Amino acid sequence: MSRKSFNTKTFADTIVNTFNRYKLQVAISVIFLVLWLIFFTMNPEGFSEPATYAAITSVAPFTIIPALSLTYVIISREIDLSFPSVMALGGWVLAVTWRALGPTPIGVILALLAGLIAGLLNGLLVTRCRIPSLIATIGTMFLWRGVVLVATEGFSIPLGKFRGTPIFQVLVGRIGGIPMQMVWAITIGILLWVFLNFHKFGAYIYYTGDNRDAARMLGINTGKVLTCVFMLHGVIAAFAGILVTLEMATFWPALGEIYLLKSIASVIVGGTPVTGGIGTVFGTFIGGLILELIETGILAVGVTGFWIRLVHGLVIIVALIAQVSIREREIKRMRTIMGIG
Amino acid sequence: MQCLKYIVETRNLVKRFGDVIALKGINFKVRNSEIVGLVGDNGAGKSTLVKIISGVYTPDEGEIYIKGQKFRRLTPQKAYELGIVLVHQERTLSENHTIWRNIFMGRELTGPFGFLRIRNMRNTATKLLKEIGLKAMSADTPVKYLSGGYKQGVQIARALCFEADLVILDEPTVQLSISEVQRVLEYVRELKKRGKSCIFISHNIYHVYPVADRFVLLDRGKIVAEFMKTDLTPEDLSHIMVSIARTGKIPVEYEKINLIHSSQE
Ligand SMILES: Nc1ncnc2c1ncn2[C@@H]1O[C@H](COP(=O)(O)OP(=O)(O)OP(=O)(O)O)[C@@H](O)[C@H]1O
Ligand SMILES: [Mg+2]
Repeated sequence: MSRKSFNTKTFADTIVNTFNRYKLQVAISVIFLVLWLIFFTMNPEGFSEPATYAAITSVAPFTIIPALSLTYVIISREIDLSFPSVMALGGWVLAVTWRALGPTPIGVILALLAGLIAGLLNGLLVTRCRIPSLIATIGTMFLWRGVVLVATEGFSIPLGKFRGTPIFQVLVGRIGGIPMQMVWAITIGILLWVFLNFHKFGAYIYYTGDNRDAARMLGINTGKVLTCVFMLHGVIAAFAGILVTLEMATFWPALGEIYLLKSIASVIVGGTPVTGGIGTVFGTFIGGLILELIETGILAVGVTGFWIRLVHGLVIIVALIAQVSIREREIKRMRTIMGIG
Repeated sequence: MQCLKYIVETRNLVKRFGDVIALKGINFKVRNSEIVGLVGDNGAGKSTLVKIISGVYTPDEGEIYIKGQKFRRLTPQKAYELGIVLVHQERTLSENHTIWRNIFMGRELTGPFGFLRIRNMRNTATKLLKEIGLKAMSADTPVKYLSGGYKQGVQIARALCFEADLVILDEPTVQLSISEVQRVLEYVRELKKRGKSCIFISHNIYHVYPVADRFVLLDRGKIVAEFMKTDLTPEDLSHIMVSIARTGKIPVEYEKINLIHSSQE
């Protein structure tokens, strides 16, 4: 019972626990590497070229960034289907402001503010009006898309003349060949990871999804937590909308629609179950990369784009089966250790 | 000040849930370093009463005095600041998360900008687990892998951790093995030794009797009787409970030791 033996024990436990805790993330990374190997074997030349990776990293962030904050929403056992429309809203606010004032940070700030308000509305509908988020965000999905369509009358807004301005470079330029949007995705990913794991807010998000009644009984204001989560997701979706708009150098009123299912799939493939309470930002990041790798890879190996959805579907199913079996095995293992059942 | 003798005192508490009147004018007191056994049938209102005292529910009528301070309503935060910790009857655990996170759930130790002081919390949790006799358990174990008794242990560790002045245990011994029940009782005695107060709710008279100083009998939202432990045996108590369940009254032979009767009439 010396202090030393006690520490050694906790240390060993920590290592075992750490490995077990990250099993899912290891699995998802393995899936990513296997896919990459398959594509590499089928087209070694294409997958040796930096241009291929430049292509992946210039579009992947548009799926990944909204998926990162969507992970928070899903961990708290809610869903948000309105984020593609919020992306469009953000892109539109930026486009209009820049057409009026030139390429100023004010445009970015206003767009993020629009995202914040859209998120606040979702949060209030869910927490105050007690509308299930699935329904509430279908409503706001139509609402914000409608706002954009009415305002633009369906026309796109060209922004090509702002290419090369400093703010444009910061948002979607290239540094050393790496698209800035990827740098943003990584930055946001790290920030969200830090907050989820090391901050009180992150802990409350987990508890709100895991056992909301318990969280409430212990004095956690789960309504406030959820509202903040929706607001954060709104802001980040709007930011993603800004990036898409600038990368295309045009605002399209249909912006965002293709990311709805891809971003949700990234979260799911990444190991965050819709039942809430658990999940990781890292998993989502890799999940998004996997989906984008498939898109680029399929085109690069020269089969038709029609295969993309099929392979997406297969990979999602494989990932889900892997997750379930890892979780079940973990439960069995722990039961044996604890001597229950 | 008269009130200061009591850590908690309620006056005419009424609580309704729609048509159900869960509490019908409750005058309930807990003295400093006293252990009160709160007993009564299912649905008598025991949980409701302690939830009001700990700020989870707000009463419809009546007042709560805590350490002499008067409140019409409390929040869990406020009650906690006043040194009241409730160990809920419902499992208030976040099953997917570790023991240490659960112990600090809702009361995290934080450093600058609200960042968690993880090492600090883990160490404290590990020490606590040892104190309540769960030394084989790593604080990093997710709660969902624990058996029922250990889960209760985690909830009690929570109360221990915060050096509460009044610890409320709502049915802490259900689903526990005999040795685990003994451990809980041991812990309650330890509380008393440290001069803390405790409200101990249980269905099982043989669990409350050894530790309580006084018994408060609740029936359908009313306090029907109060006894000092010194005045009766567990068999008497059991007899009285059965009679209340059948007739809503306590047997006449016990009326002279009923504290309620003499003080109210
Ligand atoms: N949140 C609630 N909503 C509606 N009714 C409630 C609620 N909580 C309690 N009640 C009702 O109030 C009454 C008292 O319930 P309470 O939980 O306080 O009883 P109890 O004495 O703790 O019973 P048990 O021994 O079953 O735990 C019951 O009739 C119950 O149905
Ligand atoms: Mg109860």
